[in-house]
Amino acid sequence: MTPIHVDTDIQLPEGYSEYEINTDRNIELTFTAKADCDAFVRIINTGKLRIRTYAPRGVKVNYLFWNLSENTLDVDESHEVMGEADVTVAYGEINRADTLRSVHMALREEGARGLLSSASLVDSSKTYNMNVVNYAPHTYGDMKNYAVVLGHGRLMIDAVGKIIKGAFRSESHQTSRALSFEEGQNAVILPELLIDEDDVQASHAMSMGRVDEDALYYLMSRGLSVQQCTSLISQGYLLPITETLNNEELKNKLKEEMERKIGELC
Amino acid sequence: MKTLEIKDLHVEVEGKEILRGVDLTVKENEVHALMGPNGNGKSTLLAAIMGNPKYKVTQGSIVYDGKDILAMPVNERSVAGLFLAMQYPQEIPGVTNSDFLRAAINVRREEPISLFKFIKSMEQTINDLQMKEDLAHRFLNEGFSGGEKKRNEIVQMELLKPSLAMLDEIDSGLDVDALHIVADALNKLHQEDGMAMLVVSHYERFYQLIKPQFTHVLVNGKIVLEGDAELADKIDREGYDWIYKEYNVQPAAAEEVKKVSASIGTCAVRQASTAEAKK
Repeated sequence: MTPIHVDTDIQLPEGYSEYEINTDRNIELTFTAKADCDAFVRIINTGKLRIRTYAPRGVKVNYLFWNLSENTLDVDESHEVMGEADVTVAYGEINRADTLRSVHMALREEGARGLLSSASLVDSSKTYNMNVVNYAPHTYGDMKNYAVVLGHGRLMIDAVGKIIKGAFRSESHQTSRALSFEEGQNAVILPELLIDEDDVQASHAMSMGRVDEDALYYLMSRGLSVQQCTSLISQGYLLPITETLNNEELKNKLKEEMERKIGELC
Repeated sequence: MKTLEIKDLHVEVEGKEILRGVDLTVKENEVHALMGPNGNGKSTLLAAIMGNPKYKVTQGSIVYDGKDILAMPVNERSVAGLFLAMQYPQEIPGVTNSDFLRAAINVRREEPISLFKFIKSMEQTINDLQMKEDLAHRFLNEGFSGGEKKRNEIVQMELLKPSLAMLDEIDSGLDVDALHIVADALNKLHQEDGMAMLVVSHYERFYQLIKPQFTHVLVNGKIVLEGDAELADKIDREGYDWIYKEYNVQPAAAEEVKKVSASIGTCAVRQASTAEAKK
């Protein structure tokens, strides 16, 4: 694990590597990949955070930003994906503090692929502004946002998929799912598709709703308390996000921490 | 000895009174058949005992093992030894059978069950019920056939070992082979652990396999006739008409029971505003 306390330019090594951000300052980080790699970034504490990533031609990169901060996280990200590169940026947001995240992913050259994916257990205020822009032909952009909204949680996701003119045969997709357990819980998801080219494919799917009463009754009739049901259902809802990462080590880490955190919060 | 005692039970569903004064006693080791035409309160009685929030008890009492069941939330009734094998088991996407069952077993224990022991008993049970081996890793009832869902109810029962099992038309949707598999599993629990059963079924074939000692006939929210196994047999041969005449009762007009097939995956208030921009 590499600790990060100040502005740093990080050259990602091939394979798996781990980072931990722990500072009071505002910091700016750049991640540059040279070969296929997986990066796990734990956020313990930070001032305003600025993240830049760069994926050169042909590499496959997975990032997992795991937010453990007890203070508000205010993060601004931009991700550059070059030709035939394939980048996944995943967010584990199951802490109690607020998050304000603004993301811009640029699919810069032909054949670039990008996925933004988040799993949020929302008991505070989580606001995400996500943009994936197809700048070149034959590019593929995707966003997957899954959230469980608890007690006083407020979730706001503004997800924009944009295909510029000339980026033909490109695709822009997104899926959003939000689940709540009580009435009066607050989730707003705004999916947007801005398309300036004819020869493209684009879609968005969204579901929002409360846990089914019959499902709750069924689980309880086998002896589980409301709290245990909430926890079990939340896990089922949020864990699939781990499948977006092609790294067993990362997957297991995410699952373990998530189960523990969900147990604490539900 | 654990005894279920129901006295003068009145139950409403959505403001409509379905049960109008039911008395019933089920003792340990006993097997009771609950019969009656559709829409006359059989499922309602089982649901009220289990504590389904849609069924409101307006009068009367239910006591099990000396405890006031009506004062307990659903999960505590389960831990007290009650189990309802449901007519329409819910599909719960995202929650695996094994995670669910381990949690359900652990609420009954001081110390959590060891993974090894759990896997062993799960495998044994899956084998007993002749389910597919991947059952443990599949999401709870999701994509199961009707028969698989019913057998999965019995898998749960076998692992949770209730002292009183209620079966709501567990035999519907089962083919002849599956019917025998399920009956064998039930008889084993009955004989080995003294599990009592309260069974709703329309089919004499199932009753022949599990051999109830008592039969109760529920018409229009009241038990109008009680007897032994002979009674179930007679109803199978002659239907209910003779009971209506002899006891001067009218059945409640049978209503189509609404099949609840909601699940978490599809519980969206607002589902899939799916826009496809294709050209």
